[in-house]
Amino acid sequence: MDLLCVGLNHRTAPVEVRELFAVAPSKLGEAANELCQKTGVPEAVVISTCNRTEMYVAGDKQTVVRLQELLGGAEHCYHSEKMDAAVHLCRVASGLDSMVLGETEIFGQVKDAYRAAWEAGATGGMLNRLFQKTFSIGKKVRSETGIQEGATSIGNVAVDLAEKIFGHLKDSEVMILGAGEMSRVTAQSLQSRGARSIFVANRSYDRALDLARLMNGQAVRFDDWQQVLAQVDVVIGSTGAPHTIVQKSDVEAVRRKRKYRPLFFIDIAVPRDIDPAVAEIEEVYLYDIDTLEQIANEARTQRARQIELCEQMIREELQKAALPGLGS
Amino acid sequence: MDRHLLLISTVLALAGAVWGGLSVHRGLRTWWTLILIAAAFLVQILFLNLRGQMRGACPLRDIGEILVFLAWSLTFFYLVVGRSYRLSLVGLFTAPVVVVFQLLALYPGVMDADPVRCIGVDPWREAHSAVSVLAYGAFALAAVTGVMFLVLDRQLKDHHLKSGLFRNLPPVRELLAAVLRLLWIGYLLLSAGIVAGWLMPHRGGWSHLLTAVAVWLVYGLLLLVKQWRGMTGRRLAVAAVGLFVLSLGVFALL
Repeated sequence: MDLLCVGLNHRTAPVEVRELFAVAPSKLGEAANELCQKTGVPEAVVISTCNRTEMYVAGDKQTVVRLQELLGGAEHCYHSEKMDAAVHLCRVASGLDSMVLGETEIFGQVKDAYRAAWEAGATGGMLNRLFQKTFSIGKKVRSETGIQEGATSIGNVAVDLAEKIFGHLKDSEVMILGAGEMSRVTAQSLQSRGARSIFVANRSYDRALDLARLMNGQAVRFDDWQQVLAQVDVVIGSTGAPHTIVQKSDVEAVRRKRKYRPLFFIDIAVPRDIDPAVAEIEEVYLYDIDTLEQIANEARTQRARQIELCEQMIREELQKAALPGLGS
Repeated sequence: MDRHLLLISTVLALAGAVWGGLSVHRGLRTWWTLILIAAAFLVQILFLNLRGQMRGACPLRDIGEILVFLAWSLTFFYLVVGRSYRLSLVGLFTAPVVVVFQLLALYPGVMDADPVRCIGVDPWREAHSAVSVLAYGAFALAAVTGVMFLVLDRQLKDHHLKSGLFRNLPPVRELLAAVLRLLWIGYLLLSAGIVAGWLMPHRGGWSHLLTAVAVWLVYGLLLLVKQWRGMTGRRLAVAAVGLFVLSLGVFALL
């Protein structure tokens, strides 16, 4: 018996195909058992996330065809066996095969899939040892390489910067200018890290109310945002206005009232909402969308440079482990 | 023997600075800076104890001793306050200052090679000297933390976010809180030092005490403005650094 992997993911299959074969997290154990029964293999683990459905089994070459049939035929499938299949699993668990390179969520998803299969009695000596080794390799890859260093999205870059300025965000207040999608996502990222309260100012007060309700925040009439500026720590600008909204004079007017505390402006609007001259004020840190995107890009490039190192580490660790089913 | 101890302490602090600098450059966190500085601190205590026995009094009788006491005080506040603030990188910035102070003390002629034993020690004078130097240790660490803030502030303003130093520096708000807290600690200690100075006998005139009072007033004004009116982080940091250097210079001239 050899290790086999058959699957489809975001690179090989469009979402219309992926959703046909997606398995709910609560059904993963059942799916692994069913797979054993349908194909006659002694061991199976099914991993299913929004970007992939993969089956790992202990089987022979003929099993591959049967597995591909279960995934709608060979058109959207990829398969690998023995050492290549083990390397693939480690790449997946380490986030090397993810849409966002180095993301961490997949590690937990692989763990959950394995636990479900194990609890359903669908695993045995080969897959148990393989998955245990995969988890230790995944941890090593993440801790000993830079694969998860830096923020790779604008929202995460903004949150990292806010934490660099304010530390824990639980004492920080945020104001959003404009109730767009980008500002909502960024503000939610800040909120998820503890930001105390969110104020939403929008030209349409109804939309401000809607977004404020969604985020447990407070709506502010657009004409009143200058008053709120005196108390907040972070301002996210994302209106569709054709001119700048926040002028240097607006910030200067509240400096004394703010006791010159640091103020972080995140300008994700195009055209920009915050006059660049605002950055000349000593306690102000201003980042526009280009700067944030550039930082995210650098992190992505930095992560991409780590792939080779990660793969080398994975191969070395697997070779050292000499697991069953990986061939010579 | 005492010079050897001071040399060992200086080498340990230098090793802490170099090791810390290399670790930060590689983007790694290390305990070695803390361990080396703690070792330097222990040797400083041995040195000061030996000099104290030679003097029969608190070892603050020449510029060399004052510099080493100041370096000890700075290290003490780093180990006590710096650690509790999670400001692990303070050690990297503190160690070079300790090295400079102790190298100056080691310079021939700065420290009495054969210290004269003191006769008739006055407890108020001893308290004044020791507490004042402790105050300066707190002011020194406030200045060190101020420099850290200025570095981080420049990096954030210029969007230079890639260095290992940037990744390891504590957040702006924590640094500013630490500067303020250390200034208050220093100010309260200096207040106690001035009270003790007022009560000690003044055989050599009042200029020393008047200078201390002037320093106390300026630090008090800084804290008053910060508390009452508010102040940008940059101005607070520059004031913490500038006042420390200035007051140290004034006392050196006296």
